[in-house]
Amino acid sequence: MIDPSIVRPEIALDDFLPIFISSALVLVFGGIYVGIYTAVKVKLLKPWTMTIAYSFWMLTAYCLYLMGSLMHVGDFTAKALVVAAIGLLLLPYAVYYMQNQVHEENEH
Amino acid sequence: MANNHLTSESKQLATWYFTFAAILFGAQLLFGLVAAIQYVMPGFLYGILDFSIARILHINALVVWMVFAMFGSVYWLLPDETGIETVGIKIGKLLFWIFAAAIVVVVLVYLFIQVGPADATTIWFITEGREYIEAPRWADWGIVVVALGFVANLFLTGIKGRQSGIVTVLMADMIAFAGLYLAGMFFTDNITIDQYWWWWVIHLWVEATWEVFVGAIAAYGLITMIGAHRKVVEMWLWIEVAMLFGSGILGLGHHYFWIGTPEYWWEIGALFSALEPLPLVAMFIHVLYDWGKTQGAEMADEHTDEAHVKSVITNKPAFTWFVLNAFGNFLGAGIWGFFHTLPQVNLYTHGTQFTSAHGHLAFFGAYATILVGMMYIAVQGTNGIKVMKHTKASLWGVSLITGGVVGMTVALTIAGYVQVLVSRAQMGATWAAYFDGQSGLWFAQAMDWRLIMGTVTFLGFLFLAKDLLTTGKNPVHER
Amino acid sequence: MANKSVWSDNRFWQRSATWVTGFASILLIWLTFDTSAQIAMGNDEDLKNGVTKRVPGPTVINYKITYEMDAKRGHEVPVIGGKEKFFGRDDWSEEEARALLHLGKLGSQAKNCMDCHTLLGNGAYYAPDLTKAWLDPAWGPDGAMQALTGKNTKEEAMAEFLQHPDQFPTHARMMPDLGITAEEAKGLVAFLKHMSSIDTNGFPRNFGRMQGAINGK
Repeated sequence: MIDPSIVRPEIALDDFLPIFISSALVLVFGGIYVGIYTAVKVKLLKPWTMTIAYSFWMLTAYCLYLMGSLMHVGDFTAKALVVAAIGLLLLPYAVYYMQNQVHEENEH
Repeated sequence: MANNHLTSESKQLATWYFTFAAILFGAQLLFGLVAAIQYVMPGFLYGILDFSIARILHINALVVWMVFAMFGSVYWLLPDETGIETVGIKIGKLLFWIFAAAIVVVVLVYLFIQVGPADATTIWFITEGREYIEAPRWADWGIVVVALGFVANLFLTGIKGRQSGIVTVLMADMIAFAGLYLAGMFFTDNITIDQYWWWWVIHLWVEATWEVFVGAIAAYGLITMIGAHRKVVEMWLWIEVAMLFGSGILGLGHHYFWIGTPEYWWEIGALFSALEPLPLVAMFIHVLYDWGKTQGAEMADEHTDEAHVKSVITNKPAFTWFVLNAFGNFLGAGIWGFFHTLPQVNLYTHGTQFTSAHGHLAFFGAYATILVGMMYIAVQGTNGIKVMKHTKASLWGVSLITGGVVGMTVALTIAGYVQVLVSRAQMGATWAAYFDGQSGLWFAQAMDWRLIMGTVTFLGFLFLAKDLLTTGKNPVHER
Repeated sequence: MANKSVWSDNRFWQRSATWVTGFASILLIWLTFDTSAQIAMGNDEDLKNGVTKRVPGPTVINYKITYEMDAKRGHEVPVIGGKEKFFGRDDWSEEEARALLHLGKLGSQAKNCMDCHTLLGNGAYYAPDLTKAWLDPAWGPDGAMQALTGKNTKEEAMAEFLQHPDQFPTHARMMPDLGITAEEAKGLVAFLKHMSSIDTNGFPRNFGRMQGAINGK
């Protein structure tokens, strides 16, 4: 018998696995997104693969959402997660833009 | 060495540091195996070399070999970066011997004295009993003196010679690295204050200053191995410093969820932890970008048929380890760190094998890889090799070590998952709950696999050691 | 060399890195001042007047400690109740209690506790977490551990175990004999009792209240 005074964890027992998997996938998908983006830009991959890159970013965002909702994060953390997702979307743009600029100025 | 190609004493000193580091790396793995065996067979060496002692040696050897290899890396790159011989090299050599001798004494005391009575003499001469920085107080002061000497050499050389961006970053980083050690050198009865400052050393080392150090070494490696453009690499290094320190310093908050510190650390820890993977992702893109650009330029210059396009990499084994670093840092520190970092889930994962899984992959991925890469660069330089190729042993070494560490990490992750479900979520973290989790079938099997994978890692180390010792004379390299 | 952009200027990034680092460091130092004040150890007066401290004074060993749900904060917190005897006394003076805690904390380091156990969740994972060990039902009046040592109180049972852990084999994985003296054991138990009174923001959750729960093996 379970003592009624016991507070069940906010996280349901069955939710632990999806949480761990989705939070690991956040970065796996995120990594694939920036990887493909960069590879396209340095011409290691064909340009059309960029759509695949964006699909991976969407998967990342979905995993973040899933993870956050299963964990029952508070308002503040939820906002932090949205910022992180947008940050990840912009990151390769910023990096590529800056790197390219330096190359242009110094090599040609 | 008979036909030594080193003209700089600084580089010679670097090879000493690397050699001692490699020996300690071996010791780390051996004591790790002892501890892993004890999880499977608790009676193993019981009362002779208990788990606590094996683990102290395992994690202290880890920290110390990395510090040795880091000092070695700096002494190696200083002449290249500054264009002059390192200032105070004689003192540097003397300090090396002092440091090495102190380590040997500390290890012998750990092994044969182990514990002491509950008074200050134990803290001063046997063990401080604080995870990772157990070294007794006398050794702490020794480390401070050695570190100050090292930082002084770095500063004097940096000021006197050409001060590149890499050297500037290293100067700032190494002084923070040495200074932070002081935060771990006092005693207090208040365990909360104790752990508050203890994390300043541990976290601000491995998630801030060491990461920046890795950024600087990666920059040096990209310039020397694939001829990446210095200005790009250095600008990138500054961006990395901003991102790593910007997220890492306050990321300290994720260690302050449960040690008695106020609740506002939840928000701070969660926010900066969520940002911490971004620089790791960025470092990963950076390596890909630089390699793609230089290799692309090479292809364009040759503009002949594909088969004759030369690889731009001048040191294959070192470059392999550097690429593993970019991956490993992202995987170990990034993914394995992120999935248990938010307070909502950390409440259940804190203090379980999850932390151990993360620790293994992150220390290996973020630090061991790049430092082994630097050892290969030193072997190349010492033997005057122009283009260094893989040998059978180098490939076996890198594959077995990587496979072994990843295997251990997966095993420990499964063990951690069992612990979270059984001991924490269902049973409420008591003594009985702990042992219920530990005796589960999945947990026990995960520990078997950890031992097997640990053995694989050690075999890989033997290949690596053999390769580092013999590859210099191997005729396959271009000289 | 057409248009030199600020984004590709090394000096811009060098300055940014310096500013970001400086700003983060200053924020951390400021937070450290605030936290330090909040985690400073309380004293006997606080305990007598019922002032709640995150880390109570050493004389907390004179009181009964429980771990209860706080509806407002949404997690459990240690609650300091009425007087309770500790090694036969509930009038440990501030000096005596402080000395005992000092001995215990030194002992916890001198015996490398943290290299098998976790304290506040930090340390090694070879043995149970000790954060709330004092509150563990196994050491209570009906607990298996207390019965095993043949002692009548929680503190005596714990002290007995600490002195001869190898004589009370509970599992294949056993604590080794670390040469802990009777006095050191007393100090260590005081250290454990004090640690259980620290407000750890609800870690570990549901401690000691779930014996009847489903076994997840």
